[in-house]
Amino acid sequence: MAEIAFRNVTKRFGDTVAVNDTSFTIADNEFFCFFGPPSSGKTTILRLILGLETPDSGEILIGGRPVTHTSPAERNVAMVFQNLALFPHMTARDNVRFPLVERKLPEAQIAARVAAVAEKLHIGHILHKPPAQLSGGERQRVAIARALVRDPAAYLMDDPISALDARLREETRVELKRIQRELGHTLLYVTHDQEEAMSVADRMAILERGAIRQIATPREIYERPASRYVAGLVGAPAINLLKGSADRAAGLYDLADGAIRLPLAAVPGEAVEVGVRPEAIRIAPFSGSSTKPATIWEVEPLGGFTVVTLSAGADRLRVMLRGQPRLTADEKVELSVDPAALHFFAADGTALAGRQ
Amino acid sequence: MPPSGTRTVATDREERRLGFRLTLPTQVLILFIAVFPLLMQLYISLTDWSPLEGTGWWRAYELWNGFANYTDLLGDSRLWGALWRTFVVMLVCVPAEFLLGLGLAVLFMDDFPGKRVFYSILLMPMMVVPAVAGYMFFMLFQSGGPVNGILSGLTGLDVTIAWLSDPTLALVAVMIADIWQWTPLMFLILLAGLVGVPEDQLKAATLLGASWGQRFVTIMLPRIRTVLIIALAIRVIESFKIFDTLYIMTGGGPGVATETISVYIYKVTTQDLIWGYVAAIALVILIALSVLTVLAMKRMAAAGGRA
Amino acid sequence: MTTIRLENLVKSFGSFTALKTMDLEIGNGEFVALLGPSGCGKSTTMNMIAGMEAPTSGRILFDGRDMAGVPMGKRGVGFVFQNYAIFTHMTVRQNLAYGPKARGWPKAKVDAAVAKIADFLQLTPMLDQKSAKLSVNILQRLAIGRSAIVEPAIFLLDEPLSNVDAAFRAVMRTELKHLQREFRQTMVYVTHDQLEAMTMADRIAVMDHGVLQQVGTPIEVYNDPVNLFVARFIGAPGMNLVEGTLAETDRGLAVDLGAFGLSPPLPAALAGAARTAGAKEVVYGFRPEEVTLRTEGPGLRAAVGFVERIGARTIVHFGAADRALKIVAEPSTAVSVGETLSIEPVAASVRLFDKASGRAIKGAA
Repeated sequence: MAEIAFRNVTKRFGDTVAVNDTSFTIADNEFFCFFGPPSSGKTTILRLILGLETPDSGEILIGGRPVTHTSPAERNVAMVFQNLALFPHMTARDNVRFPLVERKLPEAQIAARVAAVAEKLHIGHILHKPPAQLSGGERQRVAIARALVRDPAAYLMDDPISALDARLREETRVELKRIQRELGHTLLYVTHDQEEAMSVADRMAILERGAIRQIATPREIYERPASRYVAGLVGAPAINLLKGSADRAAGLYDLADGAIRLPLAAVPGEAVEVGVRPEAIRIAPFSGSSTKPATIWEVEPLGGFTVVTLSAGADRLRVMLRGQPRLTADEKVELSVDPAALHFFAADGTALAGRQ
Repeated sequence: MPPSGTRTVATDREERRLGFRLTLPTQVLILFIAVFPLLMQLYISLTDWSPLEGTGWWRAYELWNGFANYTDLLGDSRLWGALWRTFVVMLVCVPAEFLLGLGLAVLFMDDFPGKRVFYSILLMPMMVVPAVAGYMFFMLFQSGGPVNGILSGLTGLDVTIAWLSDPTLALVAVMIADIWQWTPLMFLILLAGLVGVPEDQLKAATLLGASWGQRFVTIMLPRIRTVLIIALAIRVIESFKIFDTLYIMTGGGPGVATETISVYIYKVTTQDLIWGYVAAIALVILIALSVLTVLAMKRMAAAGGRA
Repeated sequence: MTTIRLENLVKSFGSFTALKTMDLEIGNGEFVALLGPSGCGKSTTMNMIAGMEAPTSGRILFDGRDMAGVPMGKRGVGFVFQNYAIFTHMTVRQNLAYGPKARGWPKAKVDAAVAKIADFLQLTPMLDQKSAKLSVNILQRLAIGRSAIVEPAIFLLDEPLSNVDAAFRAVMRTELKHLQREFRQTMVYVTHDQLEAMTMADRIAVMDHGVLQQVGTPIEVYNDPVNLFVARFIGAPGMNLVEGTLAETDRGLAVDLGAFGLSPPLPAALAGAARTAGAKEVVYGFRPEEVTLRTEGPGLRAAVGFVERIGARTIVHFGAADRALKIVAEPSTAVSVGETLSIEPVAASVRLFDKASGRAIKGAA
């Protein structure tokens, strides 16, 4: 059992509250991601779990056992460092053996455990090489093997691939996910890249200033964000957040200076802001219909997709279209949205249920 | 296996207390090295004690004379003369070393053939033992020595200047030796500063149309300001203590023509053996230098805040 | 407002050749991205245009005028450095005024120019702040403003977005592109990020190992890569490239893709070109977005290895290691891991490359 739980944990550094009255439970074998902007408390949570920090109040449980005041060595959680921190002068095998040798385990047991973890991670054939001769992916596996060889309850990664370039990052994250699937350990993962979090996590926690704003699967977070803050944090291009105004006489609710008009009945009364994902907006040549036109501000081809930035009144909207549509700047277009894809937010930023 | 049992992480206060205890021996040692001699000096400076008395310094109170040494000091014209010459040396040598060092450092920012060789040659004077340098210049400035030889060759006349016997020329010779020996240090420190100026910023300035002079004034100088002040501070303090090279070249003479404050103190200590008086002088100079240093540091901090 | 022409440009450092015979013409007001991995020669090219480095051979012409021997301060080139090279010991205002002052503009003119550019780049509120403590996005605008104020004929940007975080980078891309379109400024932009090049540039010059591989509009480079390098480098996820052997079938020429089975028959033009080219061993390429996924039907047969759901995009990974395929599907696509599916590339989007030379085999358009 390697369930990890926080019960009302608070950690302060001087006047700053790094983690604020936080509770969560991470299930066994889960790939759990902490995601948030810089200094939102992600790393502090990992350090609390590792035992490198002691909470000011609250309780931390690993496998149901309270470990709040237990030393890092006894918590049985392993850390895979960002730069992987493999010892360059040792072979991959010696790197993996290292934690066991440190614990003075009998040689037979060390060999057996190294063999088992090497088999699981498919690194048996490269164990004789020094890290310098390994590819990035192989090094990743060796670092994970070193963390897992002592059979920890969970292993932790703090932004492990942020230093790689975009292409390699995309490949490595898939690789990581695959490894975790095959190994079935609880993995706690910190990242500041929303795409990475969405890609790898079974569930993710969205943090803001030391507090968790939402815990859910990436899909739920994307499709049903609990607040404006969460909605704005996931998705690239980012969600369009538009202030609306009700035209009671016409029974319509105007967004983006009338470029998008919704039936007033579909909009919750307390809504002050509406979120529209860039892929939920459709574009057509302006036909002089009931909506006002939007003007194309910039067109950015990505190849398989095209991101169009529109200006409508004082608002800028981003639209993501499939393929390579022929659009030119300053063209007038007409917008339409799928009402089911809208998110409504109250003045305090919480999400409201749409009225269909 | 790790030891079992629980451990509470030390609080900040506990950690601070532990830190204090760990550094205590060092602090005591520093106290002993720095503060004790100072107090001893202050004590002796208030007496007429001399090693000739035959009593230990701790019994100097028997020769208590209050502030007499300090009032004597005010009327000591030889002391003031030495102090004045020290200032003259400082005011000539430090700017000269600074300008030469800066010029050389600027030259060394760019590559040129033989740079490494010139670099090594330039640093050599700094590595010469001052006493040896003193003897070297003593030889160079003999009336039949190489300096006059070169001057003769250049002018076609028979130059026999008595460098070290003429009061003014002796001081000039001493200053030349000092500049020779310490320009390399200036050069080294300033070069380190200039090399640290971000190359991109210099390129950016060039691309914006700035001439070399404009780049020097607007980018390089502000960037090396701190280093520059440190270099100057080191040399000002050092030049105040000028002694070894000079003493070997001229012994402070002819007469008192090259007697600087250090030479004067040395003579009073070893020849006149009036230690109480020497202690008073040393203390006054120490205080004066400390005040100067603190003022310089403050200015530097202020400059750093602006930079 | 200047055209740039690079003629047979070569740059060697000792025995290492950083740039091998580059020819490129950049039009007046054009935004050209030099794109490639590190060490491809893009920065060397840029530095030679700026005058920071002298070419080993070849010529650089601005509006037909040979720049050889013209020092960098006199080329009328604005340069935005990767680290911005802001004069951190100066205020924002002093940074902006640096160029004008260095050129000896009268004070009134300097002040007016600073006020104008500060207003345009929204730097007015921090004009008198020390630039050392500003955030990256402000530093970037300041770097652009400092170069733009002296109205350079050419603007060179060296990976200016690489220090900006991902979310903000997307915004800066659009802003920068719009800025360029408004100024109609000749701009050369160096980057290793294909996304930046695709989204901003009028034309992309793809480089590798000191050799210019392809020049074209983003769409041209994406749709018709001239070789495997360009095909791999452009697009995210990159083009699916599967090695195979040409095989005649009763329905026309197809490619035997080994474990994936036989490809659908090649379009006539491509098949013709492939026959003419004569190569048997080829690389079969198609974009991850340009496919139809079915449980049964024609196409490549592969088992789903992993599904990435990233908001608007769902990336389905097939196979493993060197025999891997990626497909970008609609978010609503229901696939389960382990299931074997048919992947049929859209016929018009299929590309063929000669395996030996890596060059594209092109059908008549």
